[in-house]
Order: sequence, then structure tokens, then C-alpha cells
Amino acid sequence: MVDIEIEIDGKVVHGNSGESVISIADREGIEIPRFCYHKKLSVSANCRMCLIDIKGNPKPQPACSTLASAGMKLYTKNAKAKAAQKAVMEFLLINHPLDCPICDQGGECELQDVAMEYGSDVSVFNEGKRIVADKDIGALIHTDMTRCIHCTRCIRFGAEVAGIVEMGGTGRGEDLKIEPFLSEGIQSELSGNMIDVCPVGALTSKPFRFEVRSWQMNSIQSIARHDLVGSNIFTQTHKGKVKRVVARDNESVNETWISDRDRFSYQGLASEKRCLVPKIKVNNEWREASWQEALDFAVNGIKNNNSDGSKFGALTSKNATLEELYLLQKLTRGMGSDNLDYRSDFANPAAANILKSSISLAELEDIDHALIVGSHLRLEQPMINHRIRKATLNGASVSAINAQTFDSNYRISNNLLTAPQNTLATLSGVLKAVLNEASEKQPDYLNSVVVEQAHKDIADNLLNAENAVVILGEHVNGNPDSDGISQLVKDIAEASQAQTLNVSLTSNSLAAEQVGFRPVNGKNALEILASDLNSFVMFDIYPDFDCFNPESAIENLSRSDAFVVSLNSFEDDSVLKYSDVVLPIASFYETSGTHVNIDNISQSYSASVKSAGDSKPGWKVIKVLADLLEIQGFEFVDSCEVADEALSMTPSTSVARAKITGSEIPEISTVWQCAPYSVDALVRHSSSLQETQIGQINVASVSKATAKLLKLSEGDLFKGVPVNINNSVAEGCVFVHTYQPRKC
Amino acid sequence: MINKAKKLIKDFGLSEIRAGMKITAKQLTNDKITVQFPEERTPISPRFRGLHALRRYPNGEERCIACKLCEAVCPANAITIESQMREDGTRRTTQYDIDLFKCIFCGFCEEACPVDAIVETHIFDYAFESREGSVIDKEGLLKIGEKHEKAISKARLEDSKYR
Repeated sequence: MVDIEIEIDGKVVHGNSGESVISIADREGIEIPRFCYHKKLSVSANCRMCLIDIKGNPKPQPACSTLASAGMKLYTKNAKAKAAQKAVMEFLLINHPLDCPICDQGGECELQDVAMEYGSDVSVFNEGKRIVADKDIGALIHTDMTRCIHCTRCIRFGAEVAGIVEMGGTGRGEDLKIEPFLSEGIQSELSGNMIDVCPVGALTSKPFRFEVRSWQMNSIQSIARHDLVGSNIFTQTHKGKVKRVVARDNESVNETWISDRDRFSYQGLASEKRCLVPKIKVNNEWREASWQEALDFAVNGIKNNNSDGSKFGALTSKNATLEELYLLQKLTRGMGSDNLDYRSDFANPAAANILKSSISLAELEDIDHALIVGSHLRLEQPMINHRIRKATLNGASVSAINAQTFDSNYRISNNLLTAPQNTLATLSGVLKAVLNEASEKQPDYLNSVVVEQAHKDIADNLLNAENAVVILGEHVNGNPDSDGISQLVKDIAEASQAQTLNVSLTSNSLAAEQVGFRPVNGKNALEILASDLNSFVMFDIYPDFDCFNPESAIENLSRSDAFVVSLNSFEDDSVLKYSDVVLPIASFYETSGTHVNIDNISQSYSASVKSAGDSKPGWKVIKVLADLLEIQGFEFVDSCEVADEALSMTPSTSVARAKITGSEIPEISTVWQCAPYSVDALVRHSSSLQETQIGQINVASVSKATAKLLKLSEGDLFKGVPVNINNSVAEGCVFVHTYQPRKC
Repeated sequence: MINKAKKLIKDFGLSEIRAGMKITAKQLTNDKITVQFPEERTPISPRFRGLHALRRYPNGEERCIACKLCEAVCPANAITIESQMREDGTRRTTQYDIDLFKCIFCGFCEEACPVDAIVETHIFDYAFESREGSVIDKEGLLKIGEKHEKAISKARLEDSKYR
């Protein structure tokens, strides 16, 4: 990369040699029309819209595929360039229909904008226009392929970013059609980005179809809260309703992409199952109440059941905002209780999750080896998976220790199938292999560990890489040996001088860690749910999905002497079963808050719309509860003050070394993974996401031998999930991946 | 003194009444320019901008495609549209309201419409019986369109060579 000087339209600008002219012009704010060029995709130079005049060159050249060289003189607006651009525009408009008034892209269409400047006002084309039949490509994207101008951005997006070649061009010339190869439609978890990259109205959002015009909406900067990346988004609202979510550029967080989960979850806001009014249970009968009545009822219940505060417990979902977590933590501690937790779906929340991430999202692109331990990264953390995929495109290799071989969009060179009960042993083997290779001293507990060839291979991969990362995934949460696994992952990373990335704490868990939303001496989530505490605050908990053992949790909370105050944004039968008061709270996009992402960046956002019905933002409800319970220190006026106080806390970092002792080893274990479009209440209520193939994931995979042991055959129901017998699963475990409620 | 005398002569000589009568006498013999409204009406330009109407195609299908250009162009924000996909997959309005108290009858909506759906008719003598009556909804607008389709299409045809 050499800094060179070129001249564009008489202006001297700097660039790197080998950089395309169009990217230099973009940086300098010089406008060049384009359709096929996209800064994040490869250059194909097939639309020819960016033709510019280069001094000394007899013919105009496309700016996207022309590389800058020193002393170049370019003209983007002289007569020659303009004439070329106008001619291209005329050709593009030959086949493009004049249906802007009914096109959802109308008003934000690149073709429309460019045609206003470069198009002719009178058409001289009297022949017939091309008409292309549409294909149904799923519940998220609507196609109007007659409008397509063959820029191939969607094809390149699929091939280069999503990693699944789903769209392709068939035929040549006039007969060229852009269509999906498969009849099942688009299956990528990033497919919604095709809508963003399409410069015309050929690919538009299906749920948004014909709802409002682009100019009617307000765009509000916000943060997506479904994963631990905190993708930057715009929520676009009209008349107090979120109508659409689009990506907002942030190079260090989500670049220009967002996952489908972030893009289409907003539909859940309009669900009929929203909690709209406070409800109280009097004499086992539910009835609606005013806020005043419900709050008094809640406070009296807590006070009457709880003379000294030690019988009080609070649980929260991982999706709560930093502010809500902080206030609830303060309320609980103010009550004199230490029974609080956010890890209600963990098998063993007893110990601290000791693994801290040491690598940032952007740095992930530069790694040359990644070891994934227990994660279906592509579906669970699409944006992190995308970074890893980018690294693999640059030559990085990936190995995995998983209970199942997952469908990935990059090659996993070394996949070690390991059932959950064997994970500890496998990781010990890998650690021993790493220490052996590096000829370092081994701790005593590794003495009895047997190192297999597979362990050695993984150790070699890690040691040979200059820049490796070990990724701890979400499956560790359901594993009783989670402490040991975290510790071993940390040890392996240290021994091989690799970085660590902990993706097991999803959505806003790191905010919960920041405010200390975990017991120091008190009861953890499992203990709270099995304890004899008698007053609870459950913040946005849906036990069927959020509790490790929903059945026993619901049963215990339904005790007659337990007084449960639930704050929920969606109605849920199980919540009604055990609660005494249900206070309706605002859902995503309806409350201001802060998200702490995997890089420990706290991103604050304001509410995009007013909360539905009579519901109120969660942090306000907790504040008022605290005031009514006469707990001091809740004099907050807005959520920013809460966030400031919460962020000024210093979370405890000293964590004792976990013991590497396996728990009781069952012969056959179950990995229960919630499908990606069921991870929180909002996505569960988004109808279009539920219709997609990913939303419909419902399979219990089991190997042949294990199936025999369990006496299962293909199509049987295992805990309500249809069994599929295949060889991609480790022996000795059933891998359940489903949208259904969890069954222990 | 002289002025006073002049005024006296003018007043008592009935000079102004005579001037008035002179005009009356002249007009007695001319053609009448008044008409017996509402039985008789004066001719109006095909471009006259009166009460709004939504038109249908000859096959009965409504023309409006909910592009909302009229709503966007309306300088008085008098038009409110909500759209949705109809069962057959076409883009249609679910609500189309015009507030006639807000409307300034500029005719921009008519001009912006790509399918000649919203038009301004020649009707100008209408009244509301209640305050809410000033807002005409989609049904009302379509009814006006159906009733006056002949006159509307005739006016469009007459004006077409100048458009």
C-alpha cells in the first residue's frame, strides 16, 4: 500500500495504490452513480453505471474496477462521462417497469434516484418489456424479479457474506434470470441483508410489504438486543408503530449487516399476546387492575410475606437492559437479600463464569485458527460467525469440539464429536497435548488423562497458529461441568497463547455481570427456583423457555405461600399459573436502555415508540416498586442517570480457580438448544420469523447406537421433539434443537 | 359658499338617481347574465377543481393503488391513507380520508396521481350537516366517483390535449 495522488474532477486526492477509484471518490465525497458496486462485496463491474473518463484513455472505464495509479486524471462529470452514464441508464430502463407507485422501494430506490439525474424524461422505447416470473423465496423476502437490473449484488452477498450460494443467474443476455437455485427458498440467517443490498425493488421485505412508504417513517437509532453483538440498527416508525428495522453501519460492531433475527423480530411488538394492563390474582381469580391498585397489591404482598427481606428472591431474563438489571439488583440488595440471578437456564449457575473474552470482534477477522467449544455459532451468533467466516476466507482454519456436526458456512477442518459428559475429558486431553507439545509442566490433575490423536491434532492446530482463538459456546450453560469446562478453555488458551472469546453469555448477560446481578453469598437461580423463599420478583421470565427445569420451577413457584410479582411484556400461561401480580412492561424498542456487548462496549439507545397499551418501561416500574417498598437511593429521573450509576460500578473480577472435577456422569445426556428464533419472547411472537425454516427447527438428533440404547426409532417423539437418527451426533447424547418449550 | 350651492342643486335635482336609472334603462334591453341556480348553471372549465372523488376502472376495480403520492404532495395535509396488501396480492388502501376543511382545492393530488384515481369534480355546492361530515372516507369518495363518472371522464377527455 503506497500513498498516491490522483486527480478527480480537478481535485487532488490521496489514495492507496491498488484501491479502486470509486472507493477513493466515495471517501472524498465525489458522487459517482453505481448499482453493482457495494463496498463490502467483490467488484463485478457489470452494471456499467459508474463509467468515468480517464485522461489518455479512449473509452470511458468503470470506476469500480479501475484501480488507482499515481498521476491519474479522472473526470466523473465531463461530457464524455455523462454521455456514457446516460446511455447506460437508458439501457437499464428499457426493461425496468414503471411501477414505482406500487413499489416498496419507491422513495429510497437507487435506480429512482439515479434516473432522476441521469435518465431521460422522454422514452423512445416502444418495444415490449421483459417480464420475469416471481418465485416464492420464503417468509422474509418478497421478489418482483421483473424489476431486477441484474446487478448481482444478492448473488455476491450469498456467496461472499452469507456463505450459502442461494441466488444465482441462469440464462444469458435477455434471458438472464436471477433466482434461487433451490425450491425451498432462502435459508440463510443473514438473508434479510439482501433486501438492503438490492438497489431496486426486486427484493423487498415481505412483512413490510405495502405497509407504508419510505418517506413517511421516522428513523430512530437503536440497538438490537437478541445477541451479544448489539448490532446497530435504525428502527423505522410510523404513527407510533415500528414498521421496519434496517441496518446501521458500525464497522467495529456489525459492519453493514444485521441478522434476520434482529431485522424481523419487531413484528412481535404488534402481537395479540402483549400484556397491556396490570393484572392481580384475588381468591385465585385473575382480574385487571389499575397501576395504583396492582402496585399496592404487589408491595403489600412482598411486605406481608417477607418481614426481614431474606426470604426475597429476584430473577431476570438476559434480555433486560442494563438499567433494569441495575435497579432490580439494587432493589433486591436494598431488601436485604442476596438471592438474585440472571442464569435461570443454566444447569449449574453455582460458580462464576470465569472466561473473559480477550479478543474484539474486529480482531476476529485476523485470526488464523479458531477452536469452537460447544456452539452452533452460525445460528446463535450470526454476526460473530460472519467474522470467523471472513477469517477463514483469508486462510484461517477452524476446529470444533461439539456434540453435533453443525451445518456451517465454512469448512471445519477438525471436528471432534463429544457428548456433554465427555467434554471435560476431551478438553483435558487437549490441554495435556498442548502442554506436552509446548513441553511445559503439567498440573497433577492431568496425570491420569489419556491423550488421543484427535486431541493432538487440535493442539497442533492451536500451537501452529500465530493468532488463534478459543471460543466457548452456549452449550456449556446446559452442562453440569460448566465450571471445569470454562477453566480448561482458559487454560488451553493460556498454554497455547491463544485469545479467548466467550459467546456463552448471550444477549445482555454482560450487563448483568457489570451490575453484579448474581449472588455473592445468597442463592443462585437454581436454588431460588427450588427454595422455600416466599416472595419473588420475576423480571421478563417465561419459565417454559427461560428455566433449566421449567416443570419443577413452575411447581415450586405455585406454592400457596409464595408471592410472585411478574413483570412481563407478553402473556404466558405458565406465568399466570404461579404469579400473583403481572405488571405489563415495555418490550424491545419501547424502552430506553443500554446494551453491553461482547467487546464490553455499552451502547445506549432511546425508545423508538411508546410502550404498548398501558405497559410501562421496566426500569420505571422497578423504581416505583422500590419507592413503595421504601428503599432508599432510587431518586432517578431518567434512564441515563441509572446507566451512569450502573456503569460506574466496578464488577468484581477476581475469580477463584475452578476445580476440574467432573460431576456424576450419566451414560446418555441431552443437549437442549433453543432454536434461534425462540430465544426470547419478542422473536417467539414474530410471525414471519416463525414461518422460516430456521424458525421451524424441531429435531432431536441421535446416533444409531444411542438410539438403540434409548429404544428410539426415526420419527418417535423424544420429550415432544421428533427423533432423527443420523451420524452427525456424538455417541451417548441426544441433541435437541427446537422451537418448543424446554423439557428437562 | 359656491360648493354649498352646487351640492344643493345636485341633491334636489336627483342627479344620482337619474344616473342610476340610465344604467337600468340600458340593461333593460340587454341579455340577462344571471341564471336560475340551482336549476340553471353557468358553464365551468373542465379543469375546475371542486369536490373530490375516487374513480373506478370500467370493470369496477378501484383505480387507487395506495402509492400515497397525493398524501405526500398535499400542502394542507388533508389526505390520510393507510395501505395493505389485498388478498389477491395487489396494493390497496384500507383507509382514504380527505378532510375538506383542510383542503385548499389546489389540485395537486389530482396532478400527482399516476392512475387518475383521485380527481376533483365539478361539484361545488355541497354542505355538511355535522362537523365530522367534513371528512370524506374512501367509501364516500368512491360513491361520488361512481355517481359522476360520466362527467369526470368527459372533463378528463376535454382537458387531455393540454396535459
